Amino acid sequence: MTETGKAVSELLDDMALKILMVEPGDLSVVGDLLDLGERLVTCKENANTPVLQGMGKAFRAALEKIIMAELPDSAENYESLGRCLAQMQEVVRKEGVADEATLNAFAASLGGVGYTVDAADLAAASPAAVARRSPAAEQASPAAPPAGGASPAADFLQDKELLSGFIDEAFEHLESIEINVLELEQNPDDQEIINNIFRPFHTIKGVSGFLNLKTINKLAHATENLLDDVRNGKLPMDSDVIDIVLGVGDCLKDMVQNIKEVLEGGPERYQETDISAFLARIRQLQEGEAASVEAAPSVVETPPVATPVAAAAPVAPARPAARPGAIATVEPAPVEEEETGQRGGAAADNKGSQRKRLGSSIKVDVEKLDALVNAVGELVIMQSLVRQNPLVAKLADPKLAKDFSQLSRITSDLQRTAMAMRMVPIRQTFDKMIRLVRDLSKKTGKKVDLIMEGAETEIDRNMVDSIYDPLVHMMRNSVDHAIQSPDERSKVGKPATGTVHLRAYQKGGNMVIEIEDDGEGLNTQRIKQKAVSRGLIQAGEALSEHELNNLIFMPGFSTAEKITDVSGRGVGMDVVKKAVEKLRGKVEVHSQPGKGCLFVIRLPLTLAIIDGIIVRVGSERYIIPTIAIQESMRPDRKNYNTVHNRAETLLVRGELIPIIRLYQIFDVQATTYTDPCDAIVVVVENEGRKRALMVDELLGKEEVVIKNLGGMQDVPGVAGGTILGDGRVGLILDLAGVIASSVE
Amino acid sequence: MEAAAEVRLGQGGEGVGNLAGKYLTFSLGNEDYGLGILKVREIIGVMEITAVPHTPNYIKGVINLRGRVIPILDLRLKFAMPPAEYNERTCIIVVEVQGRSGPVQVGMVVDSVSEVLNITAGEIEPPPALGVSRETTNILGMAKVKGEVKILLDIGQVVGEGVLKRFEE
Repeated sequence: MTETGKAVSELLDDMALKILMVEPGDLSVVGDLLDLGERLVTCKENANTPVLQGMGKAFRAALEKIIMAELPDSAENYESLGRCLAQMQEVVRKEGVADEATLNAFAASLGGVGYTVDAADLAAASPAAVARRSPAAEQASPAAPPAGGASPAADFLQDKELLSGFIDEAFEHLESIEINVLELEQNPDDQEIINNIFRPFHTIKGVSGFLNLKTINKLAHATENLLDDVRNGKLPMDSDVIDIVLGVGDCLKDMVQNIKEVLEGGPERYQETDISAFLARIRQLQEGEAASVEAAPSVVETPPVATPVAAAAPVAPARPAARPGAIATVEPAPVEEEETGQRGGAAADNKGSQRKRLGSSIKVDVEKLDALVNAVGELVIMQSLVRQNPLVAKLADPKLAKDFSQLSRITSDLQRTAMAMRMVPIRQTFDKMIRLVRDLSKKTGKKVDLIMEGAETEIDRNMVDSIYDPLVHMMRNSVDHAIQSPDERSKVGKPATGTVHLRAYQKGGNMVIEIEDDGEGLNTQRIKQKAVSRGLIQAGEALSEHELNNLIFMPGFSTAEKITDVSGRGVGMDVVKKAVEKLRGKVEVHSQPGKGCLFVIRLPLTLAIIDGIIVRVGSERYIIPTIAIQESMRPDRKNYNTVHNRAETLLVRGELIPIIRLYQIFDVQATTYTDPCDAIVVVVENEGRKRALMVDELLGKEEVVIKNLGGMQDVPGVAGGTILGDGRVGLILDLAGVIASSVE
Repeated sequence: MEAAAEVRLGQGGEGVGNLAGKYLTFSLGNEDYGLGILKVREIIGVMEITAVPHTPNYIKGVINLRGRVIPILDLRLKFAMPPAEYNERTCIIVVEVQGRSGPVQVGMVVDSVSEVLNITAGEIEPPPALGVSRETTNILGMAKVKGEVKILLDIGQVVGEGVLKRFEE
């Protein structure tokens, strides 16, 4: 039985971690999950627990339906499946005996996915199942909990305003819990951090109790008690406690999210979350683990999120107490003590920088900020208009000139401050990576140090959310594929612990984010083969190594099969590129074979401002984003070609680039030039496509503030407007749209 | 009287009596129009308009209204009336209507602005039956004031179908 528990629970733990990783559309992870499910059903250790087999089969079947697109591939469904896993873990914990409540909960979770399973059937398979089949078993199988008056959601829907206040607050608290917990892992003895974790739990407990959110209240309360024991020295602060607190944090987040959905979508959205696993685990920790290790081995083996604990060694407290703050050291349990020590010493210069600085701040409505930025922008324009007024310009008064320059200093100061108000440190996003790397390295059994630099670098508030996904994707790649396993690493003479650097800094009006790993690097030759076989490049094409490596960002490079067999890299990197380009940024990779990769993401400092070249087309002025521009020229007639006398191309450095006459697609009258060889062409690149835009004149380069076109929806080819120096509106080109409309 | 347009929408065209209130009147050619004063933000003279490509002809483009970019709609063209040269009497009435995500300001070019009238319920008649002509959906009612007929516009409707919806090619 112990063996059974161990093997199965390990499988389940793996599955639970996988399901955390799944994102809708990410079918490769679902495939892995299916593999594990298969193993769960078929593994011989599981043969004598038919109930678990039954659950596993049901789970697998539901998963298959998702892969076959018979059931929606949605985040909610994966959450439900995650709950199924938790319930299976619960069964394992009870040594293969499933009680009715667990089975019902399991059936309900699967029902939430859209896959119906009868709890009673499962129960029949269980040798220890209670003979009586209550009608509740049948009722539990259909999807949603009953809506209407009897719904538990109705209990707390009394005061929506208070509730929505609570939701925002709770998310903030939970975020701070996670950050503090991870920090605590580095400094297990720091009372202040324990207090910082304790307090938000206390608040959540209090408020949720007041709002009648019973499940949340119960869970927060139990966790608070656990933390209290830790605070009073009754329990050691070890990785078990940290795991459970993190797990509870995630669970609470899900529950709060659910309540948010209930608020928006009505009580029928309410889902009861099963927290019994957490409660049991907390109780078990509180009652003292040393005893249970001997008494009931299978219990220790099966915590929902915790790692197996090396029974002999007290794990975390033995770590060096003053671990450098900015480093999240992550290693799979059991911890190797001497090594931890070395690493802690090696990076000691970063000490203690992570402690939260609590500046005083206020929340401001984004609209008010925008209004301020607008007003300041107008001020700057008006100022220059007044200054350029011919009458004023004639006044040769030194006092006036001095005052004007003073005024412009003030306005530009004001403008800078207004812009800076939208900026937040990127720390928030970086901190989430600590958790990600921790989970990933546990999952993969690799040892990874994450070293973060420049977390205080500021980034546009609107960009924070959008940069998160690509960053997660790349971190995942780094840990999952690039960093080799400890064995392989020592074979090639690298330290067993891999290092991933995550850096942020400002450079030349850009925000730069770098992800550097010391893994195996890209296999350039295999990339070349792949690219040729995919028809992305010609076999004889002479591309530099750098250009070849950057092919991994091409769409279609890695969709058909996992790229892992090529380079250990590149799963869906085109997604990253697309996301970054959406933010008007650029991403590239530098690789040294055997030494590692460096991914560089360059982003504009703010989404509100775009660096653009102003061009004139007839009477109109347009702004082309500088980041897309490759060059501009007056074409040579010998490079100008036509096809069927219509489709025009330009030969630029051996490349045939289609010409787009901007005045044609924008229907501008009275252009200065109609012959491309008299006009100027601007070569732009968008999503890998190059086009030569024909314009009359380049007017200059300017940083302009992007504004929407006042409620007009999606004008093709126009990304937005801006106020130019003379107070008139100029249109910012959307190159994707321009290229699309030129095709028609 | 506050939100005349909403009241009407809520009652499906019944109860013109609720339309009583203050209206800004303006002219297009020989016709007089009125629109609920509470929708009006300001009235400005014609300024240089930046044309926006791929939009219907009645969208003249966008202007800079103190740092805010707002679309400009030519009401003559919107109602398929012959275009007129802009002159010193031509005005842009800036109205604020509810867009998909919050209030939106839109400017409307009219021949000239006349006055603000207090129109009573007794002076308002339902829109005339003009066959299937869809233009009547823009009309709240007809007001007869001192022997003159003012066409009361449902400006939310005009702007909604004219500017805020997606432009089909």
